[in-house]
Amino acid sequence: MSQQQPVEVVTNKKRRWLVMAIVTVVAAGVISYFASPHPDGLERVAENHGFIDQAKTPSWTAWIPDYEVPGIKSPILKVGLAGVIGVAALFGVLYALTRPLARRREADNHGKGDHHPS
Amino acid sequence: MHIPDGFLDVKSCITTGVLGVGTVAYSLRRTKVSLARPEVPKIALIGAFIFAAQMLNFPIAGATSGHFLGGAMASILFGPAVAVVIMSAVLIIQALIFQDGGLTVLGANIVCTGVIGSYVGYGVYRAGIVLLRGRATKVVSFAAAWCSIVAASCGVALLLAWSGTFPLGVALKTMAGWHSLIGIGEGLITAMVVAYLMERNVAFENLPSSSKKGASAT
Repeated sequence: MSQQQPVEVVTNKKRRWLVMAIVTVVAAGVISYFASPHPDGLERVAENHGFIDQAKTPSWTAWIPDYEVPGIKSPILKVGLAGVIGVAALFGVLYALTRPLARRREADNHGKGDHHPS
Repeated sequence: MHIPDGFLDVKSCITTGVLGVGTVAYSLRRTKVSLARPEVPKIALIGAFIFAAQMLNFPIAGATSGHFLGGAMASILFGPAVAVVIMSAVLIIQALIFQDGGLTVLGANIVCTGVIGSYVGYGVYRAGIVLLRGRATKVVSFAAAWCSIVAASCGVALLLAWSGTFPLGVALKTMAGWHSLIGIGEGLITAMVVAYLMERNVAFENLPSSSKKGASAT
């Protein structure tokens, strides 16, 4: 049941993907500083019902705990830099992971590369 | 709703760990069958976008915040298998580098926000598209995203209850309650991004049936 005839497909307009890229970097690099510091839904439930203290934070792998790059004074910079590092890490990891999985052809019917004699 | 270490007991960590590894492996195989190369940078960019958007906690009632998750959005754009791969990558990097979400509960987070979020979102979206015959896609995306968040929060509630952290009834009620509010933000962002990045399938509408997608050659 692979979607035989999707009503809508992901756009190929480069401009829209460029806008997404800019939104992504600005969101992670700048707007992230203005995010709400309040506990999220699960933390709220855990606080209200007295099991928030069960949470443990293992720190041995976390280079950038709580989205703040250690050793930077400016609060907006340390959050923004953490965001940009995360964005770059995700782009890189997903690109490296999915690229070998993808088939080589560009599109099905455009037939530029295939050489049928007749 | 990243679960931290310490909320779940050993049996739920192991069970969800096995489930998580299994679904990620399955999703990678499905992705390998269906993925075309031009999609690769788009998938990578959506993963980066989801990471960025997850940083932006927005306030909801009572000194509480919520943030976008993105499973529904990713599955509407690329299908549920790719969405699980994207969400798992986001969760793994958040846990490893940013200390957001525990390592022992990584499987649980992948199962709830990745697998449940993506598949519920995708199911509701497809059902809505069929029922409304392709009309009101923004409403359908909103509903899909809202349902995905509430379903994921119910998954977390079930795990909390199974671990003995919290009684099941209260867990379901409070988790679903808060996340039905957070789901509004999820729905709005999803509807906007989907509307911006998706378009009518012109190839399908205009081409005669003779040039159907020929996927015979592997």
